[in-house]
Amino acid sequence: MANGVNNGHGKHILEHGGLQDLIDTLRGKGYTVIAPVLREGVVRLGPVKGIEDISHGIHDEQGPGTYKVVEEEGALMFDYAAALDSAKPFLFPPVQRLYQLHVEGERFVLDEGPPMTQKLAFLGLRPCDVAGMKVLDRVFGIDDSRKMRCEEENYYEQTRRDGLVIVVNCNRPGGTCFCVSMGTGPEALEGFDLALTELRTGFLVSVGSERGEQIVKELPVRSPTASEIELAELKMARARDRMGRKLDMQGVREVLERSIEHPHWDEVAKRCLSCGSCTMVCPACFCSTVSDSTVLDEETVERDRLWASCFSHQFSYTTAGPVRNSIRGRYRHWLRHKLCTFFDQFGCSGCVGCGRCITWCPVGIDITQEATTIQNSEAGSRKEAQG
Amino acid sequence: MSVTIQLDRRPEPVCGMNSWVPVPARILKIHPENFNTKTFTLEFVDEYLRSAYRFVPGQFNMIYVPGLGEAAISISSNPEEPSQLDHTIRLVGTVTRALGRMKEGSVVGLRGAFGNGWPMEKLKGRDLLIMAGGIGLAPLRPVIYWLRNHRGYCGRVILLYGCRTPEDRLYAQELEEWEKERRVDVLVTVDNATAAWTGPVGGVVNLMRRVKVNAERTTVLVCGPRMLNRVAAWGFLQAHVPQSQVYLSLERNMNCGFGRCGHCQYGSKFVCRDGPVFRFDEIADLFGKEEI
Repeated sequence: MANGVNNGHGKHILEHGGLQDLIDTLRGKGYTVIAPVLREGVVRLGPVKGIEDISHGIHDEQGPGTYKVVEEEGALMFDYAAALDSAKPFLFPPVQRLYQLHVEGERFVLDEGPPMTQKLAFLGLRPCDVAGMKVLDRVFGIDDSRKMRCEEENYYEQTRRDGLVIVVNCNRPGGTCFCVSMGTGPEALEGFDLALTELRTGFLVSVGSERGEQIVKELPVRSPTASEIELAELKMARARDRMGRKLDMQGVREVLERSIEHPHWDEVAKRCLSCGSCTMVCPACFCSTVSDSTVLDEETVERDRLWASCFSHQFSYTTAGPVRNSIRGRYRHWLRHKLCTFFDQFGCSGCVGCGRCITWCPVGIDITQEATTIQNSEAGSRKEAQG
Repeated sequence: MSVTIQLDRRPEPVCGMNSWVPVPARILKIHPENFNTKTFTLEFVDEYLRSAYRFVPGQFNMIYVPGLGEAAISISSNPEEPSQLDHTIRLVGTVTRALGRMKEGSVVGLRGAFGNGWPMEKLKGRDLLIMAGGIGLAPLRPVIYWLRNHRGYCGRVILLYGCRTPEDRLYAQELEEWEKERRVDVLVTVDNATAAWTGPVGGVVNLMRRVKVNAERTTVLVCGPRMLNRVAAWGFLQAHVPQSQVYLSLERNMNCGFGRCGHCQYGSKFVCRDGPVFRFDEIADLFGKEEI
């Protein structure tokens, strides 16, 4: 390629062993490094100290309702798709202490505020996870200038602003991935400090921010060769062709907007267990419930915020009963929220195409399939009407 | 102390150290309304907040019982006297029952005011038809207070109010005062009458037949149980009141008050932030659909 050298501008090669230098550098700067780790046969995200802590030598097999980690000799370091966790639990913890206070006469005396934030460096997030964080940024309004003091999310905002994002582009998408359809992968184009594309010879590093640049300066990197750059591009092109699933986003929002009474909701409701797994693994689901409790002395009270799921009855409970009483209503709310009403609320899709809800659904309900069924049936009925 | 409120601007809500910390407010007065409903008059313990706090009619506060939780409760008092805040509460849930056990002088927590209120700034010169069912009168009471203090702001004002029995009426004494003053035409109906009841019997929607609505001049404000909202809204639309002149206040499960926790979603709307008052045409595509 004639312009290979130009393409390589701002790109570096970090050889595999250099990953340890990266981790050391980050830890030296006070970051807790969060990376994929193998735990109980599942790739999760967790703190790592060294390269050997990161799950490697494996690939994963993901399908509707199935997940399996397979050992593979000669596999690349990051030869698996989305981990069970996204960045969400680190920015917006599943259980978050809001405060502990005690009532003293007519005063509320705060004993304990929200926990201190940590400086986190995410190493090995996937492009869909980065997209998920950008969705949450909108939900928590971190760049919203109209946000008032009473709407602030200090923990999320602080963790996010202090956090470092080192994304690993996906060479080997999983069976439930559809990031290409959602425009979020397999290659991260924005929202990262460093982006790595893994090759046999090392990682091709793209710099996405000033902070990223500073870190690269401390690493044993070399310039990439033209063939390395070409190979990385080829890998991305191949990954695009190997998506496990796809979703035609063209018009899906409009179709769902008018599909409130579609018969297919009844059909999904027969399969859906309303367990809420999809909402727990989703990197963009943001619902929460505040839980209050009393310490034994009765003067001291605690308040926590817990992840909530729109699949539970109590989620919409009022004294007149739950608003969404049936599974049909709850699944419909969830799916329409993801692909339709989220746009009105936050100006973006509530789905990033990571496929977690498909993989971790105990009965393998597939968001792409359910949405497509509704889309197609509408197209069909329109044809009939015209025919 | 009377203050001037800006009708077209949502005042900045009050909270403690951060968005989730309520500020203490003391219960000045508890007035029983009926067998399970009481009106609590609250004032902030903090003097500055007492003078700085503002709300517009139709907004709500999150009332907090330490250790038990919060409930979203409409503000029912005069918006031009925001140093004392009335909250009319049915004591039927964990938090509200605990409130019911509290005494005058006890301290609760408060965050707010949240939500979009009634379109007060758009009511100038309009005829007003207010329809309320049961505790649905609570968020409308500030409107009536305001209109009583601003004579001539609206044309004719009619209040249609329905509840189960005469004993269930909220603000019974005030209703009679309003009726005597004749600044608001008050019509109250009950589902089940008692021997002493001389007023109409039956659903509040039936009262529509007793009043003449000038569809061109009238703005309608409705708050009641789900079915009342539904029948009322459709009734007024049938009477040729345009969709853009029918306003409804909706009820949902709420946790945060500012569109963060997700509980109150109604289609793409967050009832706590985008509502609880909606103009009918904003929700026309969802209205009356089940389980949205």
